[in-house]
Amino acid sequence: MRYLKLLAIFWQTSLAARMEYRTAFLLAFLEAALEAAGKLFGVYLFYSNGFDLGGWRWQEALLVLGLASLLDAFFIGVFNPNLRRISEMVQDGTLDFVLLKPVSSQFWMSSQQFAAVGLPFLLVSLGLIGYAGGAAGLDAAGWLRLGLGAAAALLLAYAVAFLFATTSIWFVKIFNVVYFLNSIVWTGQYPVQAYSRPFRLFMTFVLPVYFMTTAPAEVALGRLSAGWLLAVIAVSLGVLALSRAFWRFALRYYASASS
Amino acid sequence: MRWLLRKAWTLVAVYFAYMLEYRGEIFFWMLSGITPFFFMSAWTVAAGRGLTVYGADDYARYFFAVFVARQLGIVWVHWNMSEDVRSGKLSFRLLQPLDPAWRYLADHVGERGVRLPLLALVGLVFAWLYPQALVWPGPGRLALGLLAAALAFGVNFSASYVVGLLSLWLEDATEIYNLWYVAVLFFSGMLAPLSLYPEPVQRALVWTPFPHLVYLPAALWSGLEADAARGLLSLLAWNLFFFALGRLLWRLGRRHYSAMGA
Repeated sequence: MRYLKLLAIFWQTSLAARMEYRTAFLLAFLEAALEAAGKLFGVYLFYSNGFDLGGWRWQEALLVLGLASLLDAFFIGVFNPNLRRISEMVQDGTLDFVLLKPVSSQFWMSSQQFAAVGLPFLLVSLGLIGYAGGAAGLDAAGWLRLGLGAAAALLLAYAVAFLFATTSIWFVKIFNVVYFLNSIVWTGQYPVQAYSRPFRLFMTFVLPVYFMTTAPAEVALGRLSAGWLLAVIAVSLGVLALSRAFWRFALRYYASASS
Repeated sequence: MRWLLRKAWTLVAVYFAYMLEYRGEIFFWMLSGITPFFFMSAWTVAAGRGLTVYGADDYARYFFAVFVARQLGIVWVHWNMSEDVRSGKLSFRLLQPLDPAWRYLADHVGERGVRLPLLALVGLVFAWLYPQALVWPGPGRLALGLLAAALAFGVNFSASYVVGLLSLWLEDATEIYNLWYVAVLFFSGMLAPLSLYPEPVQRALVWTPFPHLVYLPAALWSGLEADAARGLLSLLAWNLFFFALGRLLWRLGRRHYSAMGA
């Protein structure tokens, strides 16, 4: 409860601060629309050349695209602005102040910022998911599975991003690893079946993009049994626990730059 | 003239040394550009089903060339400019008898010095994984492709600089650059060779700079069909356009600068 209150305060202040840059916010709407159009065009390119991305109907593939866009929106709105601060705070030693606060430092570092420019992307992605889910004929149970799967996917993406960002305790200026992850998630726009085998294995076992977009869509569409939903959730929770443990471990090596 | 060259060389060397410090970050930055290889994978699967005119090797060649072309064209001067305007650092740069644009350009050129060896490393890995895709494009196509890549860098840099100058009015103009970036992402030929795009889209794109920024050098290097003369002329024209626009905005914008933090 205390954490929810904190979150509300954090995001209100962030919003207020970003109101200084209103043009940027308005432009983000245009950008979100343009990017969605471009992504749709990307999927269309495959279908117009007769390639069904490894056995997906058009509207089903759009569901995968929608989930990838949802992740993108969270990267833009929450993950990127927060996680880049870990690297900044290690650089100038201000991480000290966070560690002294009577709040979980991981919570603080992951949620303090909220970029309003992510909102248009969120709206567009939800619209895309809504359209694709409707066109693919999801029933109530399907929507429920999709919701749970999407939540697990977001958690997983966050946990992996946080794992990556934590390495800045050692490497200091390494913010680009989060960009790297962001670009890998970009490849989750298409179902993994569209890729050749080595890429598929990479996306499942090395960087688990499969569990972020394709798997939730498959579960929602009933291509995978509901038991798989538990597997997706288990993977998310597992990586989340790992990211917590890794953060604590990394903090032992934090040397505090300025003091 | 020699004096000028020495100055330019010093400036580039300084930024090269600065960027060398951040080689790890540049490496990850480069890795985040590997998405073309995923498109390669997907189109290869499509080619395996006999769906497209190109074969698997064509795709491997093309998308590796796309990767290189994109790496050579990366710019961030809009970000430098926005940052300098917001933090007031631009004030110091204005005091020096040197147009800040040269400093930003040296920053980019120096960074290429760090990026190129790393790029060669990725090239080696690629050559090891896809030896069958390796083919010598011939000196003519190689040179034309490099020329196209250099001109493409010019367009990217000038466009990004123009956007950066807008931050003299808007404070944060990086969002505008994202619009340009999104268009480049989807219409430069990174998703697929341009010839696979629908006809009307192809025809519309010829009038924009986008297909020439990535597709032209990549197609020249990988042996796909490319209208080099038209592409290079178009790149030249866009260079002039953004350069002139940049000069104009710089003249107008300086008066708007409020030297924040000073």
